[in-house]
Amino acid sequence: MANIDLDKMLAKVKSSQWALADIDWDAPGADLITAEQWPKLKAFMADLMWIEHVGARGFAAMAKKAPDDTLKQIYTYFHAEEQRHANAEMALMKRWGMLDGDELPEPNKNLKLVIQWLDKYSDDMPLEVLGSVIPMLEIALDGALCTFLLDTVDDPVCHQAFARINDDESRHLGVGFHVLEMQGRGDLYIKALKTVATVLDPRLILGIASYVPLLNRMRDNVVAMGLSEEKLYACMKKFERIGGRTAQGRRNPWYQIISRHGRMVVNRDNRTYHAPVDLMVRLTDYIPERLMPSRVPTWVKGISYRPTA
Amino acid sequence: MSNENQQNQDTTAPAPAAKKKKVATRKTAARPAAKKAAVKRKTTARKKATAAKSSRRSTAQSKRNVVKEASVVIVGAGFAGLGMAIRLRQAGVDDFVLLERAEKVGGTWRDNTYPGAACDIPSHLYSYSFAPNPHWSRHFSGSDEILGYIEHLVKQYGLRDKIHFQQDVTDARFDETKGQWRVDTRQGDVWQGRAVVMAQGPLSNASFPDIEGLSDFKGKRLHSARWDHDYDFSGKRVAVIGTGASAVQIVPELAKTAGILKVFQRTPAWVIPRPDYATPDWNKALFEKLPLTRKAMRQALYWTHETMALAVIWNSPLTRLAERLSLIHLRSQVKDDWMRRQLTPDFRIGCKRVLLSNDYYPALQRDNVDLITWPIARIAENGVRTCDGIEHQFDCIVFATGFDVPKSGTPFPIRGLNGRELGEEWSGGARAYKSVSVAGYPNLFFTFGPNSGPGHNSALVYMEAQLDYAVAGIRRILDHDLKILDVRESVQQRHNRHLQKRLARTNWNSGCKSWYLTEDGYNATMYPGFASQYRRQMARFVDQHYRRVPQTGNA
Repeated sequence: MANIDLDKMLAKVKSSQWALADIDWDAPGADLITAEQWPKLKAFMADLMWIEHVGARGFAAMAKKAPDDTLKQIYTYFHAEEQRHANAEMALMKRWGMLDGDELPEPNKNLKLVIQWLDKYSDDMPLEVLGSVIPMLEIALDGALCTFLLDTVDDPVCHQAFARINDDESRHLGVGFHVLEMQGRGDLYIKALKTVATVLDPRLILGIASYVPLLNRMRDNVVAMGLSEEKLYACMKKFERIGGRTAQGRRNPWYQIISRHGRMVVNRDNRTYHAPVDLMVRLTDYIPERLMPSRVPTWVKGISYRPTA
Repeated sequence: MSNENQQNQDTTAPAPAAKKKKVATRKTAARPAAKKAAVKRKTTARKKATAAKSSRRSTAQSKRNVVKEASVVIVGAGFAGLGMAIRLRQAGVDDFVLLERAEKVGGTWRDNTYPGAACDIPSHLYSYSFAPNPHWSRHFSGSDEILGYIEHLVKQYGLRDKIHFQQDVTDARFDETKGQWRVDTRQGDVWQGRAVVMAQGPLSNASFPDIEGLSDFKGKRLHSARWDHDYDFSGKRVAVIGTGASAVQIVPELAKTAGILKVFQRTPAWVIPRPDYATPDWNKALFEKLPLTRKAMRQALYWTHETMALAVIWNSPLTRLAERLSLIHLRSQVKDDWMRRQLTPDFRIGCKRVLLSNDYYPALQRDNVDLITWPIARIAENGVRTCDGIEHQFDCIVFATGFDVPKSGTPFPIRGLNGRELGEEWSGGARAYKSVSVAGYPNLFFTFGPNSGPGHNSALVYMEAQLDYAVAGIRRILDHDLKILDVRESVQQRHNRHLQKRLARTNWNSGCKSWYLTEDGYNATMYPGFASQYRRQMARFVDQHYRRVPQTGNA
């Protein structure tokens, strides 16, 4: 049973805060990044940082939808914590000389589309959708990618930062699965109806169209870094395993949808899924710049590698 | 004739000749008896006081323990205490004292002198109807002008000699054998009175937020209610913590001088435009020459605010309208949609105090100003650490975090019949009868007591009703030489059941966290109704609701 006491969780979250200033970003070890690693790691870190940032925005939307004040507060903290992770990852990039001056690295086109979608529609999505997608993103992209990173990078400062980040993420997941189960408690029939109604929402279809290729793009980036994609899949299966531990969790139709989708993602033989999605990824690359969303939402600019301001 | 004026005539007009005569008789008849008893009591009381104090206080050792007597002891010389004094005097009771812990009168308006400090209620309504001022310079006056008005009250009614400054009350206890309250002060003085009026004010103790590391900060720390006018903000890096009623007034002012200003917000409030303007001279002259025009103005303001109750207190179509107006205000003043999202409240309007400002939103968008909505993790040596991992460094932190509003306790121990202590009884939330009397604590009268707060109208309108109710009670004690005038427990319980039932349906109890509610969500501060309803309830002093024990007889 993944049921947790949310009040205790909130207290734990409050007492586990850390700041960029707690880490010495100039400590020795930056030279442990090899010349061969450097360009791939730069692209990877940029994506990772953006995913954290996008996850942060997801939590901001969830805070607005939270059914009670404790959960609302928890999500407000998680929003800030994801931002902190993005800040810390940017600080690592700065340490490794991967930033062009103080400029934020450009997000890839799939991420740009996801950012655009989050900015426009995430506040209108029901908690059920976000509450299911966010744990999946956390596990598959955030959690899994962090683990890979630690396997390949020897810089102790990186390990120090990710020890803290992973610690935060374990709480995010705990709450994520708790909420998944909470939502499975309602009447199944009503849930199913609501799910169908939501799926028919064109705003959500747009969201799916941004999320689905993002997963495949990240898989490609992972492979490009020389990591085994099997590890990514193992993490994605974790979502199905933990989320489906209890009957309540399994009753949540969004859990069913997301985990089934996860199964399709990890099954490379499923050409009916991967052929069109991979095509979508390639097509995104061909979207001319002028058709990409030109307006960057203000929240995107909130990231900083500087411990003090 | 409006309700308000009608009632003013009933309750606030100076006592007519017949009444005065009666009071005079009472004074001559009752006072010698009381005095005799007092003389007899003085020596024993003095001994007792000495003994008690030597064990309680070491600082006051050197002081004498003279017991001073008055018919009525008023705690506090702010708006409430001075209003009480004026109404008592107008009712023919002149034997009262005011105990003030500071060195000046004015209470909240003496303390809150931060830049931009002003009242959210139009001055012609935020003043006593029995002491009108035709000269208000603006529709919404600043704190200095309000303080000037309060000081003027002292002069106009000759109250200076009645006020004892630097008398910080530490304890009040009722002696039921004598029917006397004994009030001790930190300075070592002891006061005795047949009645005590609590006019210490709900907004008198500055509140600091519960943030880790509060005392670690090495820069300048300021509370909005304890401003340091010698501190120069120009070019400094300044934080403002809190975005309530004080903050929306401070921020636009500090933004003009500070080098960098960061405003830390936890919950955005509903902000509506502030229809402020300078009153032209001809208008002031008109108000002075034709008092009827001033009265008409007050009436117009009163009834405008009364209709606001429909939007602010209860959930009605007007609530939606008010929210829409506020959102239009936000949209017209803030261009960036993410900032608008950060400033959009997610609770019903009225649930917390509604703020009035035209320059708060524009100030937040200045180049030198930042709105920070990340939760605060802790305060460090050099600044504020937010949960996004960044330490914001400052020269000065301004706490605009309001006041410790007593919802579940008393500012000092108050002991009533059989040694009962009010703070203990109120630990789960304060309860009173008509916000003025508390069962078990005879001859004690609260101003701004439990469930007396308006969310939509002038607090002074409510205050006048409380003052006149207290006068009615005090006159009963003095006129009929009562030892005990104590509201019946059952009456108080019935009153509170009714109140809480009505409060459950108000916007204040609709789910947000506010200073109106205790930690457990009990509403001990607000009155669930129109000001007119409150005043109607207060206009009647029902003798059957009180237990009376005469000085010489039994219950």
